[in-house]
Amino acid sequence: MSGRVKLAAWISIYCLAYPGIAHAQQQVVGAPPEAQNMKLVGTSDLQARSAYQPTIHHQGDRWIAYIGHHGGTDDIPSPVNPQTGKAEPNGTSIVDVTDPSQPKYLRHIPGQEGTYEAGGAQMVRICDGKALPKGDRNAVYMLRTFGGEAHEIWNVADPANPVLITRIAGLKDTHKNFWECDTGIAFLVSGAPDWRTRRMTQVYDLSDPAHPQKIRDFGLPGQEPGSTGAVPTELHGPISTGPSGNRAYFGYGTNKGGFLQIVDRDKLLNGPKEPTPDNLRSPEISRMPMSAFNGAHTTFPMPGMPIAEFAHDKDGNSRDIVMIVDEAILNECNEPRQMVWFADVTVENRPMMISSYTVPEASGSFCERGGRFGSHSSSESMAPIYYKKMAFIAFFNAGVRALDIRDPYHPREVGYFIPAITAVTDKRCVKIEGKDRCKVAIQTNNVETDERGYIYIVDRANTGLHILELTGPSRAVAGLP
Amino acid sequence: MRRELVIATAVVALGALSGVAAYEHAASRQDEAGWREIAWPFPRDGWPAGKAFHCGTAACGGDIEVYVRPKIGFCNCDRGVADDDEVDRVADLDLMSEHFAPLAPGHVVQLADMPGRIRAYDLKMSDGSRHAAFGIAVSRRCDLLIAVAHGKGAPPELRRAVLDFLGSSKMTGWITAAMDGR
Repeated sequence: MSGRVKLAAWISIYCLAYPGIAHAQQQVVGAPPEAQNMKLVGTSDLQARSAYQPTIHHQGDRWIAYIGHHGGTDDIPSPVNPQTGKAEPNGTSIVDVTDPSQPKYLRHIPGQEGTYEAGGAQMVRICDGKALPKGDRNAVYMLRTFGGEAHEIWNVADPANPVLITRIAGLKDTHKNFWECDTGIAFLVSGAPDWRTRRMTQVYDLSDPAHPQKIRDFGLPGQEPGSTGAVPTELHGPISTGPSGNRAYFGYGTNKGGFLQIVDRDKLLNGPKEPTPDNLRSPEISRMPMSAFNGAHTTFPMPGMPIAEFAHDKDGNSRDIVMIVDEAILNECNEPRQMVWFADVTVENRPMMISSYTVPEASGSFCERGGRFGSHSSSESMAPIYYKKMAFIAFFNAGVRALDIRDPYHPREVGYFIPAITAVTDKRCVKIEGKDRCKVAIQTNNVETDERGYIYIVDRANTGLHILELTGPSRAVAGLP
Repeated sequence: MRRELVIATAVVALGALSGVAAYEHAASRQDEAGWREIAWPFPRDGWPAGKAFHCGTAACGGDIEVYVRPKIGFCNCDRGVADDDEVDRVADLDLMSEHFAPLAPGHVVQLADMPGRIRAYDLKMSDGSRHAAFGIAVSRRCDLLIAVAHGKGAPPELRRAVLDFLGSSKMTGWITAAMDGR
């Protein structure tokens, strides 16, 4: 053979072998997790329920994880709860994580019947009664969604025996709520039946959780009842900085046409409430449109970040930053990359994107592994241990990624953890020539941290809860020994 | 041996190019009812461009344009296109104008075996002219197929012409293939 023919032969062999190489990146049951500067501390299988929001609460001398679930799967719409022996629609898991190496599953509260996004009880937030202005001081309140039809408040002072307090029902959808524990003001992501969008905001005073007081409906002009013309992108979720910061940051869109909306909280709460276009515009300070390729799942504010590089500048050495996390929704990279963005909102009417972060696809052939690859959500704890220093990003089949964000102009990955799959990890499929082709991969969906520094990640594909800690040089970023 | 390989490769490549050219030519031809494929007229947005068609014959009831494309993953996976608000929200009317108002409640419709809804609108264009328009959204699981049509004729004729065209075997085949990612 001539040299050229030999080269062609080698190229052919490589091309034939390449799918095998990519295939080798697929996870298999029994293989160890993949990790750098993070390690596994403990796990709970969460009864093999697809998981969304974890919220970790320091409750007396215990640490309790409250975990919201999506609906069940077509194969198992209502998994059996081993504690009751009954099939229960996915709802809320309550897990004692005081000893993170030995999590104790305390209770499952069933949610709405339905599969995937249609059922379950995805979202959960916790406030102590003693923190709320009019709460029962002995109570611990859990605000959760009930599928798409209601918001519920439970007393979980005894987390093994929760008691339903009240219900806000009659909705066509719900999603990623925010609740200020010091004021009781709640920004409920709801689908009010007469609005033209699936998701908008209902602002409630939940300072006395037993007696919810509605303040107003809020959304974008064009979404309100009776309007015509184009309907703006639906809400994903807001995060408020409370009365002291007087801002609420709303993220709109999921994986398309998203934007960040900066809202004057005081005007929102106390301004005219009738949902006219003018009244809806009134509390808005500015909007920052994103690419049509990206949406805003999480808009996490970090006001007043000192920027080392700007330390000697006479002005602008501290910046107000919002971290925006897109949500990937299609399996196997069938959409533009969904990732993480950092916006400088110091000059509020001229917010500007300053940096971005994504997992390098080639570092794990993630488009070939199966399921979603891209970002979904970030940790939202504002506890000092990580706030404005590190962010943890759920990245579906790339697991959780730990970022050093001390310089938000140049975020840097300092660790990651991709859990192993198990026998219960659910498949994810794409259409090939009209037929389903399925793969099994971890789908790290959401992440949260606690004040001790543990990192909690949960899996959308039923693999459960993984509790992690930082190791090696990543600990120094947070100032941990 | 090497020369034969080169010749064979060239023949295959030329054949493939000829096939593509023939297909393109056939696709751009006007069909019996007067429909002709035209270039997608809108700037890039969140979804890939779809197909655009024009019909200017009396059989269509006058000048009509139809734009059709899949929006993969954009549908409520369980409810599908359950109400008219969903059609307002997703049906691409805003590509033509931000200003549109429904003329009446929508109706159930089926395209390529996918259920959904069709709704009539009054579309106010940037030059002040008004057009009748129809927005159509049908779904399969979490995926949407969107069609939007506008013309200067009366709404009933426009609706009939658009549904006849989208229900043709050629369009049904394309819609099915597009939804399957082919």
